[in-house]
Amino acid sequence: MQYSLYLHLPFCAIHCTYCAFNIFTRAQKLIPHYVRALQNELTMVQPPSEPVHTIYLGGGTPSLLAPTQIDTLLKTCQRAYTLSRDPEITMEINPGDVDQGYLESIREAGVNRLSIGMQSALPDELRLMARDHTPQAVSQVITAARKAGHTNISLDLIFGLPRQSFAAWRTTVREALSLQPDHLSMYALELEAGTALTRRVERGGLPQPDQDLCAEMYQWADSEAKQAGLIQYEISNWARPGWECRHNRQYWRYQPYLGFGAGAHGFAAGVRYEVMPDLRRYLELAGSQRERLPFPLSAAAVQSRQIDPLEAMGEYIFTGLRQVQEGVNLRDFEARFGIALAEAFPKALAKLLQSDLITLDQDRMRLTDQARLISNRVSLEFL
Amino acid sequence: MKHIRNFCIIAHIDHGKSTLADRLLQITGTISDREMQAQFLDSMDLERERGVTIKASAVRMNYTARDGQTYEINLIDTPGHVDFAYEVSRALKSCEGAILVVDASQGVEAQTLANLYLALEADLEIIPVINKIDLPAARPDEIAQELEDLLGIPKEQMVKVSAKTGLNVQEILEAVVSRVPPPKGDPDAPLQALIFDSHYDSYKGVIAYVRVFSGKLNARQGLRMMSTGVDYEPVEIGIFSPNMRQADSLSVGEVGYIATGLKTVRECRVGDTITLKQNPAEEPLPDYRHSKPMVFAGLYPVDAEDYPALRDALEKLQLNDASLVYEPESSQALNFGFRCGFLGLFHMDIVQERLEREYELDILATAPSVEYMVKMRSGETKIVDSPAQMPDESGIEEVLEPWMKINVFMPDDYIGVVMELVTKRRGKYLNMEYLDKKRVNVTYLIPLAELIVDFYDRLKSMTKGYASLDYQLEGYHPDRLVKMDVLVNSIPVDALAMIVHRDSAQYKGQKLVSKLKELIPRQMFVVPIQAAIGGKIISRADVKAVRKDVLSKCYGGDITRKKKLLEKQKKGKRRLKMIGSVEVPQEAFMAVLRLDDEE
Repeated sequence: MQYSLYLHLPFCAIHCTYCAFNIFTRAQKLIPHYVRALQNELTMVQPPSEPVHTIYLGGGTPSLLAPTQIDTLLKTCQRAYTLSRDPEITMEINPGDVDQGYLESIREAGVNRLSIGMQSALPDELRLMARDHTPQAVSQVITAARKAGHTNISLDLIFGLPRQSFAAWRTTVREALSLQPDHLSMYALELEAGTALTRRVERGGLPQPDQDLCAEMYQWADSEAKQAGLIQYEISNWARPGWECRHNRQYWRYQPYLGFGAGAHGFAAGVRYEVMPDLRRYLELAGSQRERLPFPLSAAAVQSRQIDPLEAMGEYIFTGLRQVQEGVNLRDFEARFGIALAEAFPKALAKLLQSDLITLDQDRMRLTDQARLISNRVSLEFL
Repeated sequence: MKHIRNFCIIAHIDHGKSTLADRLLQITGTISDREMQAQFLDSMDLERERGVTIKASAVRMNYTARDGQTYEINLIDTPGHVDFAYEVSRALKSCEGAILVVDASQGVEAQTLANLYLALEADLEIIPVINKIDLPAARPDEIAQELEDLLGIPKEQMVKVSAKTGLNVQEILEAVVSRVPPPKGDPDAPLQALIFDSHYDSYKGVIAYVRVFSGKLNARQGLRMMSTGVDYEPVEIGIFSPNMRQADSLSVGEVGYIATGLKTVRECRVGDTITLKQNPAEEPLPDYRHSKPMVFAGLYPVDAEDYPALRDALEKLQLNDASLVYEPESSQALNFGFRCGFLGLFHMDIVQERLEREYELDILATAPSVEYMVKMRSGETKIVDSPAQMPDESGIEEVLEPWMKINVFMPDDYIGVVMELVTKRRGKYLNMEYLDKKRVNVTYLIPLAELIVDFYDRLKSMTKGYASLDYQLEGYHPDRLVKMDVLVNSIPVDALAMIVHRDSAQYKGQKLVSKLKELIPRQMFVVPIQAAIGGKIISRADVKAVRKDVLSKCYGGDITRKKKLLEKQKKGKRRLKMIGSVEVPQEAFMAVLRLDDEE
């Protein structure tokens, strides 16, 4: 089983109003220290014997790092781990931050997939989300990326914003598709606790997003994407066939990944763990020289937990079902857990089949089309 | 006996009864300042928080008056709420005098007047006291005039005090000594002791609070409850000063307690007469009756596992509360619980709150109901206290419901809005009298069923808190009452059924289904909610099917967090009640109470 690496770069120029990730604004002067700490942390973990086939530089805003810093990090990964022959190396890019030169440099450093945070084609919506770029910046960065030789480009969109109209969403989707991305993520807004947007909605300053409208938007966007040759392979992800994100599939296929950086998560050898989320504490812990901890932990890990088999079965199904084409692999399930899915969850399966929320064949369990947007109701049956 | 004075205090909530009682205890040295726990007489926390006295209490004080003589003064506390009118009447019966406490800025209120009438009926000497004269808003002279008009007692005889500062409080004691007559009674006649309150003590059994009307008793004599004929040996007898203190005997005119050793307060009911087993009295004291529950509701544990705990808690509450009745009930929607009867809504609130607070139970109360008398075509009469039990319409000749006579005291500016509220609820105007230039006492008749649904809160809010309310049973009258069934996804839900007037059925049905539509979360399928009368659907609303319930993002770092969200969602679902395949939240069962929100 091949491994994946996730590197968290928690720096942002401003805090987007919908974002609940572990990020820090006004901490950019710490970036050089952070890069050194990450390097150290990367070498602190026992390398697994199997190769690493994907690396993901996520954030935060990784594009706040200089190309040389990206290069340093990827070189460290190469030194500390065995990489597969053609690893997928993704980096999240904030439109407006970078030019063609930057994009060339990171390609040379090894980055071969870009995930661009477009979110919306409309200035009003970008303002509502406190995004610091213009709509034009997205097409500019894509043009520059293509010129720089990038051939695997993904766009992120958010829908279901308070007061967002169907027409506004159509504009955004059409604009995004006209840029011919290889991969497209479309996320229904989640009002996460503690975000500025959630507070505004709770105080009554903004209406709750309309769930019926959201559903309409989702279905329409799916058919639009399909016409543009992008096929849905996960609840919120579409791609040209063959361009699905390998790194993210790792999560949904319940395969191991190591997480590095403040607040990153990892899952390997049946252990889920979290790296110290506090920035300064992370710098101390990750920068320290200590003896090696048992795999997969580094000295910066603050929480770790062995997942018991019953819990793992639930997680396996809940992540697997997100893959709307691939679904849950029944053979793999049985091989991992020593029990057939039908034996482990007879009642849930009967109920869900009866209400037409799942399909079941020899090899796979999948969500039905109508269940894609209400998948929580399905997952609950297995938890 | 001529040095005994028995009196009580009549006051509206917040007019300072408890503070005044504290002050009297202090002045007479019954408790020291050090022992002084604010508002000693209200021993339950709940009472203190609500500022009302739920259970009566009795304290003996010794007071040396200006005439140089020492008097034994018994202060009998009365419950402050209309739900406990019978208990009040028994406490008053045990006195010869009453202090009427009136707030110097607010004047007489409805419940005060109701209790005052009871006191006058009991032939008590009334000593009007105007309290809170230290407050800036006080207008003692005007209030004194109001009281003079009301009672015919000359203004000059009214005692103006501040219980808070202690100003003039001693004058009250002087007035009690000089104006309240000493008790009468034959010390050599057979024993007659009136029970005016009781409480349960886990060591001594039920403690009866008594006033001796004739004869005397000591702790070695066998006693008898006259209503039931039950004989028992008392564990001890004594007085309250203010805590229980053993005494050798209680004689005619005196107030004290008898520790009966009995196991429940139901065996020792307020109003009953205690006599001696040897040489019993021929007659009990008059006017003994059981106070009857008027308001009924189902109480269900939110978690079915708490059923035994709820049963135990009700049992314990009943030890101290003879008016609380309950019996097991099962509902298709709510499973197993208890049908409980209460003296009134206030009593119901207290019981519910005590179950939740003292017994830490999560309970679900169904909408309160009254007791209907259903005359069947067969000639039989059925008593129905739950809409679910209402027989099929075809067999019913007539349905009678309890009506109340209510007095509303308010500034005359509000006569119009209150009239509207009352008529909207099928009430009828009876008469009106001015208490002074501004304030009126309006009497109406209104069905109790209309009174128990949010009436008091609405009255208070539409009169900015100025109105006060008193009510008493007037009688049973027939009306065009029908049972309205509520169907959720085509299944009738017993716990949601209600009895409504034919004329408002359409309106109430529509309001109820709309309300339920808001409260029932979206399910996997469309859920029709219907109101029906006798099988005929009168209104309908649909809960739309859920369209979106998804975690849009789920990557490596999210998995634990997102799984927790799902687990929380799953836990939330467990608190929902399943009706067929529909998940219904607790609040839906109280929806009937909030049909008037738009007013």
